[in-house]
Amino acid sequence: MAVETSKGPALGYTTESTRALFRVVILCFIAAAAIASRLFSVIRFESIIHEFDPWFNFRATKYLVANGFHKFWDWFDDRTWHPLGRVTGGTLYPGLMVTSGAIYHALKTLTVPVDIRNICVLLAPACSGLTAFATYLLTNEMTTSPSAGLLAAIFMGIAPGYISRSVAGSYDNEAIAIFLLVFTFYLWIKALKLGSMLWGALCALFYGYMVASWGGYAFITCLLPVHALTLICMGRYSSRLYVSYTTWYALGTLASMQIPFVGFLPIKTSEHMPALGIFGFIQLIGFIEYVRSAISGRQFQTFLVTILVATFGLGLLGLVGLTSLGYIAPWSGRFYSLWDTGYAKIHIPIIASVSEHQPTAWPSYFFDLNFLVWLFPAGVYLCFQELRDEHVFVVVYALFGSYFSGVMVRLMLTLTPVVCVAAAMSASQILDTYLSWKSAVPAEEQEAPKKVKGGLRGVEKPNVGIYSPLTKVLVSGSILVYLLMFVSHCTWVTSNAYSSPSVVLASRMPDGSQHIIDDYREAYQWLRQNTKEDAKIMSWWDYGYQIGGMADRPTLVDNNTWNNTHIATVGKAMSSREEVSYEIMRQHEVDYVLVVFGGLLGYSGDDINKFLWMVRIAEGIWPDEVKERDFFTSQGEYRVDEGATDTMKNSLMYKMSYYNYGSLFPPGQAADRVRQVRVPDQGPVINTIEEAYTSENWIIRIYKVKDLDNIGRDHVSAAAFERGQKKKKPTKKRGARVLRLD
Amino acid sequence: MWSILSVAAALVYAAAVSAVSTAGNRLLVVLDDVAEKDLYSQFLGDLTARGYDVSYETPRSEGLALFHLGERKYDHLLFLPSKVKGLGPNLTPSHLVNFVNADGNILVAQTSTVPSSTSIVGFLSELDISLPVERTGTVVDHFNYDVRSAAESHDVLVVEGPINIRPGLKPYFEIEGGVVAFPHAVGHVLGSGPLLSPVVRASATAYSYNPKEQAEVLDADDLFAAGQQLSLLSVFQARNSARVTVLGSAELLQNKWFEAVVGKPGGNSFRTDNQEFAKRVSGWAFQEIGVLRVNSIEHKLQESDELNPGIYRIKNDVSYNISLSEWSWDKWVPFTLPQDDVLQLEFSMLSPFHRLNLARRRTTGDAAVYGISFTLPDQHGIFNFKVNYKRPFLTNIEEKNTVSVRHFAHDEWPRSFVISGAWPWISGIGATVSGFVGFCAIWMYSKPVGKKN
Repeated sequence: MAVETSKGPALGYTTESTRALFRVVILCFIAAAAIASRLFSVIRFESIIHEFDPWFNFRATKYLVANGFHKFWDWFDDRTWHPLGRVTGGTLYPGLMVTSGAIYHALKTLTVPVDIRNICVLLAPACSGLTAFATYLLTNEMTTSPSAGLLAAIFMGIAPGYISRSVAGSYDNEAIAIFLLVFTFYLWIKALKLGSMLWGALCALFYGYMVASWGGYAFITCLLPVHALTLICMGRYSSRLYVSYTTWYALGTLASMQIPFVGFLPIKTSEHMPALGIFGFIQLIGFIEYVRSAISGRQFQTFLVTILVATFGLGLLGLVGLTSLGYIAPWSGRFYSLWDTGYAKIHIPIIASVSEHQPTAWPSYFFDLNFLVWLFPAGVYLCFQELRDEHVFVVVYALFGSYFSGVMVRLMLTLTPVVCVAAAMSASQILDTYLSWKSAVPAEEQEAPKKVKGGLRGVEKPNVGIYSPLTKVLVSGSILVYLLMFVSHCTWVTSNAYSSPSVVLASRMPDGSQHIIDDYREAYQWLRQNTKEDAKIMSWWDYGYQIGGMADRPTLVDNNTWNNTHIATVGKAMSSREEVSYEIMRQHEVDYVLVVFGGLLGYSGDDINKFLWMVRIAEGIWPDEVKERDFFTSQGEYRVDEGATDTMKNSLMYKMSYYNYGSLFPPGQAADRVRQVRVPDQGPVINTIEEAYTSENWIIRIYKVKDLDNIGRDHVSAAAFERGQKKKKPTKKRGARVLRLD
Repeated sequence: MWSILSVAAALVYAAAVSAVSTAGNRLLVVLDDVAEKDLYSQFLGDLTARGYDVSYETPRSEGLALFHLGERKYDHLLFLPSKVKGLGPNLTPSHLVNFVNADGNILVAQTSTVPSSTSIVGFLSELDISLPVERTGTVVDHFNYDVRSAAESHDVLVVEGPINIRPGLKPYFEIEGGVVAFPHAVGHVLGSGPLLSPVVRASATAYSYNPKEQAEVLDADDLFAAGQQLSLLSVFQARNSARVTVLGSAELLQNKWFEAVVGKPGGNSFRTDNQEFAKRVSGWAFQEIGVLRVNSIEHKLQESDELNPGIYRIKNDVSYNISLSEWSWDKWVPFTLPQDDVLQLEFSMLSPFHRLNLARRRTTGDAAVYGISFTLPDQHGIFNFKVNYKRPFLTNIEEKNTVSVRHFAHDEWPRSFVISGAWPWISGIGATVSGFVGFCAIWMYSKPVGKKN
């Protein structure tokens, strides 16, 4: 389809209105393709919310729909972070939920009753259609080539880098945030080009919507000032820049401060300081420009130097002073880890433990972007050809986007739009050049202006090469092949890598048929049906949102990792001896403990593999009680078999994972298929908790925390009595008698 | 006439029968020989008169079972001394522990003339109560014995007016000026668990020995226990409030000691109060006294009428009331705290934010209401109103009412014009707005003069 789109304008014999019609039809097709390719997950599995965070968003949306906006705004959630609770209404980005809520109510008003779940599942694909359109608009601002916008739209529509976060069911903030990101950039460029207050205000409006939707709004908050600063440094200050920037900043900041979670952050934290600084700086420049027009050159020079030095000195002093006094929060740890990828690993294990916060591996660029990866630099190069204000924006965006995407896997998402835009520019340049059917000699005059705008300098010279049919067929043929390969790659990646709900696992039977492993939902359903309404479930935080969403039970910690100490408490309970853990569990009123164990199935994302993170996070708070070193053997190996350390074998996590595991196998054959080791036949003994439930494939194991012994014994002796072991006769009086004092 | 009288008598009897322990009236007495019960006829008659449905079984009996289809068959067990070494497959320690876990009460009476059964020893050792080695031992006291019946053996102990061993307890076992005889008692030693409490301890001069093996000489290392470490009557209350009572002297319950006259060396003779004491011991053991009931718990906002809401806001003023009754032999009465004791309320999340003494607010027919009003802490979260009142002799009260305490909603803060500190800013806004409007007005109506011409 992409090829077809590029042909329309290149053919050159259609009238303007036919082209417009074509464009609309093609954009509709692109939107349809973008939506359709995201439906793999629904077709393969079912209309289900995916992964982890979407479950919280889904739960929050249900709350919003059920209780209305005011209740949602003031929502105190007493079913998470037990017993602390969470001021959920003030600590989330409400944009996503409010959007689906609005759609739900709109449909209801139109008497189209749609289940809120289906709205949530399909919101991301629907937004991806809009994103494609927004990318079309943004690209059209960059180049006059009419095919570039359409190419960018289809690239954006099916690029795996964006699909990874927007398949049906992936009901996450990014679902709408990427559309808002691209559209805000489009409005910014528009405002900057026209110097229009109206477009600036629109930009601020969508910026406000973006702030309401995703924490990644900081990217816009920092990118626009950097763009403005770059323009100023290039000597491109203009009243257009002044109007658009100040309009955007003033209105956008006010809008962002209306979100409770953001509140006063825009004037308090370092992340927002560039925008504020540039706002001040641009006032200064405006003032200087005014003065320059009023006074003579020599006086002006002195004036300029004094003003600049004074302002920067004062500004810097003020910033440092306010930061050290604590009025401005210094850069947060999450931000440091953007600069130094090793920072989080040492200082904030909780951030480093998240897989999507890991640095990106090189192959994933190709995986997520395919041939756009090498078209992208070409597109950036093309920007330098003209280098108008908006091209500077693409260059700045490309620079920062590439850097950040290398630091964190998830930021590949913010890179994808600019890659699509730049790649579309270069692809359209190639196609425009080589798909022209005009012969060299008479076309000279018509081709020339076009090439000045966007042609490669090398091909500008009258050269027979690009006019010869062979070259045209070869080059456009290979681009066609690349485009086709891109489509097939995207389809393959989407269907194989990004469409798994991860709540449901799929595997192949020996005969090739698909086998669904549904342990998660099985276990959550068990919890929902067999435990008290307010039974508190302790698990590692990864499963908090799912337990809240699917099992509807209170949890101790969840994926909203706002309280490191609470998470460390759970980590300590998991990594300590039973007796220590029991005290923690009693104090937190835990009724059930849930662990994920993949040993039987070979499911590597289980808790034993995550265990070291629990240990590290707990060690961060209680360095004397939990020590990572104790979980490694003297050779420094992390083992779970016979050779495991005593600390490991006595930890609650190990006991819960391997309890009774040996009984599944013939003697001497018990094996862990993830770690590929043989585990001891004599499994661990547990006293303070009892097995309540184990799912079909042993992925989820749930244990019930025992109450205190009714007749006051400790759990070890009570359990020994249960097993029929006689109490040891008190050893013949050795030492002093133990006297009772009453 | 007689018929009317008999009907009246039957009604009185029925009333007496209905008025019995809160835990039920099915009592099983386990003893060696059913004929032996004649020795205890007065005591057992008292129990029947109080409304118990008494069954008798020997440990050897085939049909003896504590549970039927998972349900308790009896509410209370009374173990009288038995010569059987073990009590058979139906009365193993684990059966007895299960019986206690299922809210059954057990009264164990022992005597030094018969070794205790292994089953009882095993069961008591689970409760952290130790009996003398070899299951035999007798407590003697060369200063406080009955000169009439045990002038030589000194093994009938005379305890004057049993009084509570520490203040702050209900006087259930106290008989002022009374005398209780403990003939042929087996002493036991208690562990230091909080569920155990001694009621009658041997005097400082008493000690325990095995008359068969230690008749001649008692090595200090082989001494089981002496003095006040030696308990003659101890009570145990499990977390579910099931009661286990260990009475060192079964003969205390026998008819002949109910009316006996005893005398200490060099002292006067008294009639024993064994009958009254036996009534109190059995009454306590089978939950006829010292049983508390929580009638209702009410917490609410002070200015609201909505009872027990699930959610409060930080810094709300709330009031909390708990209504308590106590079962006293045959009726519920308002629960009065023992002297020097307080009932406390904890308002806690992980740890208590408040620990407050509850005051007696009012008394209704059979209930006393304790309550307090206080301000919630400035911390949101999931809190518990917790009354954790566990005292010896009284059934446990552990009441937890979970409420959420939320933060201020966005419209519950004071408005900006109420805050004096905001006035400069508000006037700033006012000045800006009026300045802008004024400027616009001036701009629009000040046409350039020159153009008129």
